[in-house]
Amino acid sequence: MLHAERLTKSVTSGERTLTILHDLSLSVAAGESVAILGKSGAGKSTLLGLLAGLDTPTDGELNLFGHPLSRLDEDGRASLRAGRVGFVFQNFQLLPTLSALENVLLPLELSPRAGETDTAAQWLTRVGLGERQGHLPKQLSGGEQQRVAIARAFVSDPELVFADEPTGNLDPDTGAQIIDLLFELNHQAGTTLILVTHDHALARRCDRCLRLIDGRLDAFDPHTLASDTLESEEAKT
Amino acid sequence: MSNLNARLALRSLKRDLRAADVRALFVALMLAVAASTMIAFFLDRLDRGLERQASQMLGGDVVLEQRDPFSEDLRTQLEDAGFTLSDQVDLVSMISRGDRFQPASLKAVDDIYPHYGTSMVDLGEGTEQVASGPPAGEAWADPRLAQLIDIEIGDSVQVGQTELTISGIIEREADQSGGFGSFNPRLMLNTADLEATGLIQEGSRVEFEILAAGPPQALDAVQGLLNELRRDGVEVSDVRVDQPQLGNALERAESYLGLAGLAAVLLAGVAVAMSTRRYVERHLDTAALLRCFGASQHQLVVIFSIQLLGLALVASLLGAILGLAGQAALLWLLASFLPMTLPPPGIMPLGLGVLTAFAVLIGFAGPTLLRIKRVSALKVLRRELDPLPPAAWLVVSVASLVFGGLLWLYSGSLPLAMALLVGGAALLGVLWGISMLLLNGVLRGVQALSGKGPWSQALRLGGRQLGRRRQAGLGQLMAFSVTFFAMAMIVLVRGDLLNTWQDQLPDDTPNYFAINIQPSERDDFENVVSPRAEAQSELYPMVRGRVISINDQDPREAVRPDARGDNSLRRELNLTWQAEVPEGNEIVAGEWFADDEGADEQQGWMNEVDATAQAVPVPISVEDGLAERLGLTLGDQITFAVGSDEITTEITSLRSLNWDSFRPNFFVIFPPEVLESFGHSYITAFFLPEEEQSLINQLVRDFPGVSLLNVEAILGQVRDVLTQVTRAVELVLILVLLAGVSVLYAALTASRPVRAHESGLLRVFGAGETMISRIQGAEFALLGLASGLLGAALAELATAVLYLYLLDLAPRVHPELWLALPIGGALLIGVIGHGLSRSLRKQAPAASLGLLGEA
Repeated sequence: MLHAERLTKSVTSGERTLTILHDLSLSVAAGESVAILGKSGAGKSTLLGLLAGLDTPTDGELNLFGHPLSRLDEDGRASLRAGRVGFVFQNFQLLPTLSALENVLLPLELSPRAGETDTAAQWLTRVGLGERQGHLPKQLSGGEQQRVAIARAFVSDPELVFADEPTGNLDPDTGAQIIDLLFELNHQAGTTLILVTHDHALARRCDRCLRLIDGRLDAFDPHTLASDTLESEEAKT
Repeated sequence: MSNLNARLALRSLKRDLRAADVRALFVALMLAVAASTMIAFFLDRLDRGLERQASQMLGGDVVLEQRDPFSEDLRTQLEDAGFTLSDQVDLVSMISRGDRFQPASLKAVDDIYPHYGTSMVDLGEGTEQVASGPPAGEAWADPRLAQLIDIEIGDSVQVGQTELTISGIIEREADQSGGFGSFNPRLMLNTADLEATGLIQEGSRVEFEILAAGPPQALDAVQGLLNELRRDGVEVSDVRVDQPQLGNALERAESYLGLAGLAAVLLAGVAVAMSTRRYVERHLDTAALLRCFGASQHQLVVIFSIQLLGLALVASLLGAILGLAGQAALLWLLASFLPMTLPPPGIMPLGLGVLTAFAVLIGFAGPTLLRIKRVSALKVLRRELDPLPPAAWLVVSVASLVFGGLLWLYSGSLPLAMALLVGGAALLGVLWGISMLLLNGVLRGVQALSGKGPWSQALRLGGRQLGRRRQAGLGQLMAFSVTFFAMAMIVLVRGDLLNTWQDQLPDDTPNYFAINIQPSERDDFENVVSPRAEAQSELYPMVRGRVISINDQDPREAVRPDARGDNSLRRELNLTWQAEVPEGNEIVAGEWFADDEGADEQQGWMNEVDATAQAVPVPISVEDGLAERLGLTLGDQITFAVGSDEITTEITSLRSLNWDSFRPNFFVIFPPEVLESFGHSYITAFFLPEEEQSLINQLVRDFPGVSLLNVEAILGQVRDVLTQVTRAVELVLILVLLAGVSVLYAALTASRPVRAHESGLLRVFGAGETMISRIQGAEFALLGLASGLLGAALAELATAVLYLYLLDLAPRVHPELWLALPIGGALLIGVIGHGLSRSLRKQAPAASLGLLGEA
């Protein structure tokens, strides 16, 4: 499904070069759920961007759905994602001028399945917002907006879903509900899930956890540590 | 795929209509189209209408005139080209009734007369519209003739060897232009009676005319033939060349309307550019998200282009409807002087309007829109990753190119468009530099404020905010100053146009002409008229003379080939003499007759004129228009036949004069004394107030030989034209002002998120609503002040150029501008900007700060 080999990402600012990701390798199998943990500024979002083909590595190879991303230009990578990759973002990223239903329809519109309004409506019902299809994002609470975003991530039956801090903007109770929903749908659809978070509890729900420290990935068992210990351990490094 | 893009685009557009920038964009495009279509519709119909009216005044689309009957061959050629022909014969002859004799100007018309329009004739039951001439055996007299020989309907008059029955009093001829070229009263008869009169003989002064009416294609087809006829000495009047003189007023008004339309389009363009910027910024997140979901760059461009084009289409349709309504309003305002049957609106202006909308959109929004294409999908994760805005030079260049194209399209002149464009680009560069200096100056001035009061503090803080966003501030400064400039220019030009028009026809413009005043009557006439009339012009002596040679050649050989049939060579000219340059005349080349200098030489030609064997030519002054038409210059010698004498003259000066002045004007002026020995009469013009009208009866009684022409009606018509054109100009002015307001709105909308962020920060740092309100007010006012100053400078410069080269007015400085624009600008931008920001100030800081991110 996804295979990264010796990924490096550096940014140059003036004469200084800052390496964010360093010789990083990773393989994710179909149907697997992987959590990537790390403190703020560790480069989690950079890694997610690379894995999803939103950005290009400075060095290294990345294979997505069997296609080497380095050989594709930006448009090629975009068309690889179309209909096959779903996203859930920390700040929901709903289009403010589109209704809940229209937001869910958006990925379908960009795939050959355009106009499947029924499918979109069913997904809204599955996330518990069947009655609120016509509402605009600003008429929905944070939790409800994230539900719409989850419906949008799954509506095109993607093979792979990326989630970037999906509970980061939500209170703990709402966050817990969202996580339940995300994993339930993921489970039902058999989708591969790559989740970036610093929420230990969320990471624990995944099949596998990886920790991003100093630009490298380490395997990590979330069951062995409580969330606060993780934070303190990270603080030491 | 394209279906899908369209659906996606239109769906978002529907939702987007609530956004301020989309509304601003929509309104700006709509105004651009409304302004351009309204003016294009109007000018198109007016032009076609005027051509129709010209045809009516000329009596046909082409009128040929010569001394001999026209050949059958020529008739066939014209008819083959698609013309319908009507014959007319003009001559002057004595007519009589009993023992009363009167020279009259006879006009014989056939049964086809008139091609266009109707005559106003009293056939015995009051004046009515008649679309024919008198039938055979009958004749129509004008009221002057009826009065002079005391005839009524039903009486008979002797014309040559035949007798005709007067069956109508003709008030206005269908094909009579407003002038009064013929001083003899009119008698209209049928061509069928001509032969019986026996007046057409070898050597008699007769003008044969063919009045041809036909479609434009026919006119195109015979252009070669017409040129040939001109060279053969036939006087050819072509409706496209010889449009009636409705005066400069209408011509200037047309220039003005075109100018105002372009100003509105330019303003709308600026508004489009500003709102597109905000539109694109607001949609960067959407674009990134679409990229994330797999949309290609091409798809993004298609989606957003469809959105904008959809917007443009609806806006241009609405704009076109507004434009149609607007031109109907313009026509309604101008209705009473336009021909009754104005052709319906054509399809061309509509196309022009839509084309304008799309051109404005592509030119002013295109480069900015392409920014969307460059958005990175990664922006969904890292918000700060905005693609760089397009380079300012690119935006300005593309917009200038497109605007230049529109200039070309509207003006039809590539050099003019290029000149305006290059001038505009240079101006923009200078403007940028000056704006920078000005902004720095104003900001420095504000920082130097030492007051401790809340307003001084607000000004300092507002100034600092403006200074922090210098680039954005500069952009706004330029947009506002261009707006103020365009608005000011349109207002200024309107004011100066109206003043010039009013000066041209003051209230005491002469409403009567008196001609044929004999030298013996001169003093008595003057004594009677002067005390009661106002603004009486001088009494000009008048001698009739015919041009018989130019530079010792046959006049027809000496002049430009296309002027061989010119009226001035075929008829007697009214010659006058004057010691001083007459009022309203201006010497444009050479010198006016010397007073003392050359007295000996003057004596020389004086003696020789008397002796008839003249060697030294008499200096004369010629009207520059005539000189240009005939191809005459200073030093050319013209020989006139006056009575039985010949006088050789030399052109020593050329004069320009205003033919619309309602004063006696002359093509040729002699120095004093030369012509005095010839038979002459005097002409004068005067204004007679309403309450002095009884003077006319007295003049008719006491000076029966003097002809009085009342030009009140013509004067009134010209005044009406001015009043109505003024109203049309005002209507267009409103449109330009609206376009200006749309720019202000668009600019203020564009800067809203940044301001929201700033006011949010200020709130967090403890500033109260009053303080923020003052700071924002101060910032806007400073921006308005600087824009006003710059706008005033620009407007002053541009109006001077316009007056000199386009509108033919004298340039002047407008001190009121330098006060009104900066103060007005500060107030306008201050109040509107402050008002639009009200909701931001009411927002909780968190919301304001969030607004920047969530856009």
